[in-house]
Amino acid sequence: MPSRDAALEIRTVAQDPVPTRVRASGEWTFKGLKERELELTRRLDELERLPADRVAWDLTAVDELDDTGAVWLANALRNARHVEVAPRYREILKQISEGLQVPAERERFDPLAGVVWTGNAAAGAAEHLRDGVGLLGQLTLDLAGTLRRPREFPLREFSAGIYRSGVTALPVTMLVGFLVGIVLTYLSALQLKPYGADILVIKIVGVGVLRELGPMLASIIAAGRSGSAVTAQLGVMRVTEEIEALSVMGISTTLRLVLPRVLALAVALPMVTFCTDIAALAGAMLVSNFTLGISPGAFLQALPREVDVVNFWIGIGKSAAFGFSVAFVACHYGLRVLPNTDSLATGVTRSVVASITGVIILDAVFAVLLRNVG
Amino acid sequence: MAEAESGAGGHVIEIKGLVNTVGQGVILHRDLDFSVRRDEVMSLVGGSGSGKTQLLRVILGLKRPAAGRVRVFGVSWEDPSAKKVRDARRRMGMLFQGGALYSALSVYDNVAFPLRERGGLDEGEIRGIVHAKLAQVELEPSHGKLLPANLSGGMVKRVSLARALALSPDLLILDEPTAGLDPDRSEGFVRLIKRLREEHHFAVLLVTHDLDTLFELTDRVAVLADQHIIACDSLQAVRGMNHRFVQNFFGGERGRRALQHG
Repeated sequence: MPSRDAALEIRTVAQDPVPTRVRASGEWTFKGLKERELELTRRLDELERLPADRVAWDLTAVDELDDTGAVWLANALRNARHVEVAPRYREILKQISEGLQVPAERERFDPLAGVVWTGNAAAGAAEHLRDGVGLLGQLTLDLAGTLRRPREFPLREFSAGIYRSGVTALPVTMLVGFLVGIVLTYLSALQLKPYGADILVIKIVGVGVLRELGPMLASIIAAGRSGSAVTAQLGVMRVTEEIEALSVMGISTTLRLVLPRVLALAVALPMVTFCTDIAALAGAMLVSNFTLGISPGAFLQALPREVDVVNFWIGIGKSAAFGFSVAFVACHYGLRVLPNTDSLATGVTRSVVASITGVIILDAVFAVLLRNVG
Repeated sequence: MAEAESGAGGHVIEIKGLVNTVGQGVILHRDLDFSVRRDEVMSLVGGSGSGKTQLLRVILGLKRPAAGRVRVFGVSWEDPSAKKVRDARRRMGMLFQGGALYSALSVYDNVAFPLRERGGLDEGEIRGIVHAKLAQVELEPSHGKLLPANLSGGMVKRVSLARALALSPDLLILDEPTAGLDPDRSEGFVRLIKRLREEHHFAVLLVTHDLDTLFELTDRVAVLADQHIIACDSLQAVRGMNHRFVQNFFGGERGRRALQHG
């Protein structure tokens, strides 16, 4: 069976006004060209160097022509004057040569690009702020509305939210809390033991865990876990037009989607923080027993004496604020997702970064406001 | 396309004795035989829930059947040769019902995507093919910059068709190609597919509920009912069948109206 790969036959007829005769044959397809790529490229390059009016092309023996073959031939025939082609391939050759003539889009240097970028960034930030304030206002109105008409409160979503963002988060946050308690106590003990200030370890770890680390650990894990999930869920609901469907049915998006999630995390996070505190203190107690020789009984007796209980309540109060902030930021970003996958990915990333940053900023504000307490 | 490269008798799709299950072993298809010849337009019709989408998923290799033989271009999706499977996949184009365009990529990049993935072409050559494909589906080069989110339903279908045609397929699978289009656009889309087929001679497997599209395009119709293909013949022959679904589908008011126009 003769080879059906693409082939070029070049013949020279010296006395003819068009002395070079080129005959293309075989399968001018992606597959057929692949086998003879080097040889054909070399021949086509040679033909490129000849004056166009001295080359006659005969494409009537081409058995099969696909887009790749058409691109090769159309490139070679750019300036050709004498071409004979089977009628069935005329259209594809015409379409591909027209396609090749469309100029490539080039990025032009714009001297004002920096100004445009800054303007866009400022407008984007202003839009974020406007939407955030709007969402907060709407949330307040919805909350006030449900206080007047408690039956409208989405209790089921609220309860599901507490379970999802609170109960299921306990294993990981408690484990992290326990390990941080161990590390913190161990490091403090190493530093304080030479000075005989062993009992200070309980104070440092107690205040540190109850007031700062417990709420922070719980919030950061909640931002990564629940915050990202909320943004992704609302984002996908936007992509699939479920949020639009809610609006069309006259159901408030903030009441049904945002309020239960925000309140659920604001309620669940203090409870998660409480459990994280217990786990961290258990870790601290364990290390104190082995490195400082403070028995668990002595540790538990010294703890309320050394650490004012107000520190615990500050931690719990901060957790509620952090929970609200994390869920609010997550909902805000979720509702801004555009109907494409890229926007969803960006939305989730930004949501997690913004909620963690928000938590740290809030923590700093609380530290300044409550500097004289505890 | 060489006949030897296809399955026996020049079939692009061959299914024999297919058993397909869903969920906890619920049998959806039993002893299903189905084939599509090269160069024909085969329509697959069936009531809602008859398993057309599941059958398509099996044909596309997205779902593994419980039993039976599925060959596309003579290749089983479970063939140990990854190259053979890849080559067979590249010979078919799929137009998903919702378009399935990559939302983060522009129209141009969506059409260029399969060409870039296949390799072997430089950007200039890819540009030529992409613009030719856009022209084939009656889109302007300037549409290339748009993102899928900015396209109308009809344009999404056309871009998706351009992407399906990018690798010059020998088989085009169309899942409800006119769903969501107004009658005028549906008509235009059907004309477009007809014209492209005349130019490129690919086989078409068409899944549709739209009788006008069916009458306009199809060479043979396969009817999926009672867990298998109950008929696979010319439109004329299938219409005469004494089966409740066939009678309701073609003999109803819409069927009669489409027949008058077809």
